[in-house]
Amino acid sequence: MLKGPPIRINNSLINQLPKAIVFVNERFEVVHASDEWLTDFKLESPDVFGTSILELFTRTGRDWENALRDCLSGASDETTVHLNLDTTSNDTWFEWTCVPWNDEQGHIIGLIIETEDITQRKLDEAQNKRLRSLLKATCEIGKIGCWEYCFKEDKLTWCEMTRKIHEVSDDFVPTLDNAVQFYKDGHSRNTMAMVLHEATQKGKHWSERLQIISAKGNEIWVQTAGMPIFKDEKLVGFTGTFQNINDQVQSETKTKENELLLRTLVDYLPLNVYIKDTESRKILVNKAECAYLGVDNPEEILGKSDFELYDHDIAQISRNEDLRVMETLKPILSKETTNRKKNGKSTTFLTSKIPLLDNCGKAKGLVGISMDITQIKQKEEELHDLVNVASLQNKKLINFAHIVSHNLRSHSANFAMLLDFLVHEKEESEKANIHSMLTNASDNLMETLENLNEVVAINTNVNLDKKSISLRNKIDTVRHTLSAYLAENSGTLLNEVCDTIKIQVIPAYIDSILMNFITNSVRFKDPKRNPIITMTATGENGYTVLSITDNGLGIDLKKYGDKLFGMYKTFHDHCDARGIGLYIAKNQIEAMNGKVTVESKVGIGSTFKIYFDEKNQ
Amino acid sequence: MKKINSICIIDDDTIMVYGIRKLLELVVDCDDITSYANGKLAFEGIQEKYKATAKAPDIIFLDINMPIMDGWQFLEKFIALPLQQKVRINIVTSSIDPVDKKNYERYTTKTEHIISYNNKPLRKTLIEEITKPA
Repeated sequence: MLKGPPIRINNSLINQLPKAIVFVNERFEVVHASDEWLTDFKLESPDVFGTSILELFTRTGRDWENALRDCLSGASDETTVHLNLDTTSNDTWFEWTCVPWNDEQGHIIGLIIETEDITQRKLDEAQNKRLRSLLKATCEIGKIGCWEYCFKEDKLTWCEMTRKIHEVSDDFVPTLDNAVQFYKDGHSRNTMAMVLHEATQKGKHWSERLQIISAKGNEIWVQTAGMPIFKDEKLVGFTGTFQNINDQVQSETKTKENELLLRTLVDYLPLNVYIKDTESRKILVNKAECAYLGVDNPEEILGKSDFELYDHDIAQISRNEDLRVMETLKPILSKETTNRKKNGKSTTFLTSKIPLLDNCGKAKGLVGISMDITQIKQKEEELHDLVNVASLQNKKLINFAHIVSHNLRSHSANFAMLLDFLVHEKEESEKANIHSMLTNASDNLMETLENLNEVVAINTNVNLDKKSISLRNKIDTVRHTLSAYLAENSGTLLNEVCDTIKIQVIPAYIDSILMNFITNSVRFKDPKRNPIITMTATGENGYTVLSITDNGLGIDLKKYGDKLFGMYKTFHDHCDARGIGLYIAKNQIEAMNGKVTVESKVGIGSTFKIYFDEKNQ
Repeated sequence: MKKINSICIIDDDTIMVYGIRKLLELVVDCDDITSYANGKLAFEGIQEKYKATAKAPDIIFLDINMPIMDGWQFLEKFIALPLQQKVRINIVTSSIDPVDKKNYERYTTKTEHIISYNNKPLRKTLIEEITKPA
């Protein structure tokens, strides 16, 4: 029998121990065990005692057994072993702490083993480890460091990342003072000093975006945050985070700069720029567009559709264009469009509409760019008018040149011919005859020259001063001058022009014009009836229009329309017809920026319309 | 001297009519020289004569610029007449307007009649050359 404690079934003192403790003898047979121990391992009390724990726990391994033997042999006073005990479902971890069990004489008679379920601790440790590596990764990726400051020791601790952000050497010792000195002189350092003061005085938290100058002299944007630590309501220190946000700030700055650039560009482009959503509501407008719509603040236009800004017909045209652009995704480029605001003012634009696409390639709106070309358009029209005037003048000039050449040539041909006859003529009576014809030809040439001279005078004196005269009075005066002529022909002139109408004319021309038209009407009266000439006047597109209606023979305009106002053109078998009156009248009217038109029906009469330019140029 | 049956002068200028008549006396033998002051009178006269005698003038001297009916308008109507004989039409004008020359060229292709274009003044040699039956 080996010496050792007797195996007893129970020992009530040990039973009640609040911890899981087992007493084993030198053969590892269970001598005593606390109830806790039995419960932990789900063992039945009578069976356990006297059984070797090596038998009770088979899955423990040699290490564990060796450790127990070491302890038993007195090699170590205390041994801690972690033991994995495979229960049915989960791994359960126990920590076994053994101490030698001595008798009164100090002999080791066994082991006292305290067991503790450390599964939770093991799990926590693993969790902890995982969290730590996660935190480390977060710090690395997010460039977030942490720091701590303790008032009592006046010690500032920086984590590795915080040190890295500061770019300090390994032997650098941070203090609250030198930490603040890292902040860039000015706003950053002042802010930092202030938040620390506030935190110290009032216990405030902080989180600021500031700049530091690193140990290597680099300017870095950081997000620095901190909070006071209280112990028993007393401030004992600070803790906080320190993040390198230089890249973000730089890209934000870049983005802001780009935005500003774009915005400035868009705003000050001398073009109307806008962005519309799918409902054709404006969601961005530039200054030119605001100015066009007569508002100072873009807010007054934003969210509004064309239907709220323009008349319905104009808005509908624009909306149709918008829809087409957004449906087909094909831009409209430099299309000439006319826009009319609600106040009636029309503007001609060169409009481009470009679809704006979303991530899926569908239109989410459009960008519109319009250039106001109203003035260019006007200039174009003016130019067009000028070209017309010039080509008309040119035509007149050529026509006149032909008239001159024709008339002069025909006279000179007559002279040449008659003189040739005269040289060869023998008979005196015939000679006298030729002489009288030469005189006649000379008179004709004289008259022709006078007529031509008159026309030239009209066309060269285009800058004669115009005067404002009463049309009604002028007609009355001319009627008075022609009263004998009218009476002779039983003619009547009805002056129905309103006496408020004034026209801007060259006084000498208006007399001549009125006389020409009146005598023309009388001259070509219908022999079957007495001539009646009616004069009326209206305003029309910047012109005062005088209508002269007669009941004369009328003219077949299909036949003679293009020759009516030509020189030396006559259409009636009439000895009075000289073919010069209307030609001169037309020249005089045109010299005053006017024009003349005619309507006529053979057998009924004619109406001449004379357009007097209302502008006094 | 050539013998011509009938000559017609259409011109509103009396001096010109006188001149042509005088020149004709020098170059041809013709008992029937008629003159008209414009195209309308001429057309009516020629038409009437044709109805009575079934004969048109052999030669016509035609001015272009005339009142009431000018030379072109006359020509337009004249070439539309259903004549059996070919007529020589001598246009005589002082016009140097290219439009008139173009008109002339157009008419030469439109009719069987012989048309010539002559600028005033007419000289004896020219009149001799153009005064012959078509």
